[in-house]
Amino acid sequence: MRQTPLHEEHKALNAKIVDFHGWAMPLQYAGIVDEHKHTRAKAAVFDCSHMGEFILKGAEAVAGYDALVISDVGKIRTGRSRYGAILNPNGGIIDDAITFRMSEEELYVVTNAGTLEQISALLTALPGDVRDVSAETAKIDVQGPQARETLLAIGMDAAADMRYFSQRRIQWQGEEILLSRTGYTGELGFEIYVSNERAVPLWRALLDLAPTAPAGLGARDTLRMEAGYPLSGQDFDENRTPLEANMEMFVGWDSEFPGKDRLLKQKEAGGYSMLTPIRTPDRRAPRRGFEVYGANGEAIGEVTSGSFGPSVGHGAGFAYLPQDCRAPGTQLTAGPRRLPIEAAEAPLYKQGTVRN
Amino acid sequence: MNPTTCRYTKDHEWIRGDNGVYTVGITNHAQELLGDITYVELPEVGADAQVGAPVGAVESVKAASDVYSPVTGQVAAVNEALEDQPELVNQSPYDNGWFFKLEGVDASEVEALMDAAAYEAYLEDLDE
Repeated sequence: MRQTPLHEEHKALNAKIVDFHGWAMPLQYAGIVDEHKHTRAKAAVFDCSHMGEFILKGAEAVAGYDALVISDVGKIRTGRSRYGAILNPNGGIIDDAITFRMSEEELYVVTNAGTLEQISALLTALPGDVRDVSAETAKIDVQGPQARETLLAIGMDAAADMRYFSQRRIQWQGEEILLSRTGYTGELGFEIYVSNERAVPLWRALLDLAPTAPAGLGARDTLRMEAGYPLSGQDFDENRTPLEANMEMFVGWDSEFPGKDRLLKQKEAGGYSMLTPIRTPDRRAPRRGFEVYGANGEAIGEVTSGSFGPSVGHGAGFAYLPQDCRAPGTQLTAGPRRLPIEAAEAPLYKQGTVRN
Repeated sequence: MNPTTCRYTKDHEWIRGDNGVYTVGITNHAQELLGDITYVELPEVGADAQVGAPVGAVESVKAASDVYSPVTGQVAAVNEALEDQPELVNQSPYDNGWFFKLEGVDASEVEALMDAAAYEAYLEDLDE
């Protein structure tokens, strides 16, 4: 398994380590529920160094990328970022991606570990200056209502006035690093991109502060489900289009991208199932792979993610549901024991501080 | 760690007798494997429990699994506190985190289960 630059730190913190797409990653430290609640109450620090990062420079590279991603890159202003996805020629989602516009002629793109080789091959084949900096970049997320004061306490002054989905290059301990106000928890948060050499000092500086605690992939998963964020490779993959994955709001229809004709045809034909947040009435959780049944007991869909939501106190997750069965409040059942579930609206957890 | 007053099953349940009433729960090893327990499904009081048959279920953030009755008997009581505080199973698997009590149990069926030393040896074998 590949190790992040923080591997020894995780071991010293007695983390339970799991294989995540070939990476040895911390599943939990103190426990998933504790870490989840700490993130909602204070601030948690996550190692996300397994993720992919790319730097694209020059008009040629920017134009090439614009023709690859579903986002309309021309509409992303300098200093801001946008969620999107990279598709295969059939419109299937290879991965989702956040595109930062650093300047008129420079983009920074963040993707996931699961399909990194495939994405890297596509991006580095673009014309112009494209660099895959994934292997040399550590990514540390700070998420929670006290995330801003945490960054201010270690001298990242830019955190004071950064808007949601914006980013800045800043100086920290003599190195230029990238700070973005993004996250995957539904809380106020930042993601910090540093060289591998800076990862340990940054991690330790963050965890030295009173409001912070380390959190692993387990809490990251329950937090993102409550927040209504799908997980690439789990809630969608190359067998699903952005329309099915409920990403139409992120499709730049004026921009070109692979699979666009397929998406237009699908949109016109309609009738496709769509990814939908689901919840249970009690503490029982839907589980990935559960079949979903309609009012007459007929199979209508499939659960792609599910767990107990520690902050909402009930089961939470995602399922693909026919469009006439996905109105919030629609009563359905799931799994071999016909667990009652209902279609819901994101976010399931309404008190998140993400825009504070 | 595992009380010597209990007997144990390969499915990681424990059972402990007191004046003909037998209390059942899941072991420390089981709660550690499951992680944060979020839901416990208990049998109905008065229900017949058959040895090896599922009589309840336990869910954690990571997983869900059935709970089996270690022996045959009738359910005399269930731990209703687990409905709102399933974390008691993590905090106190052998005391406050008990699942249900059985009566009408054949004591020899309990005696035939693993004692603490045998269960610990069994856990060590699982590790290898």
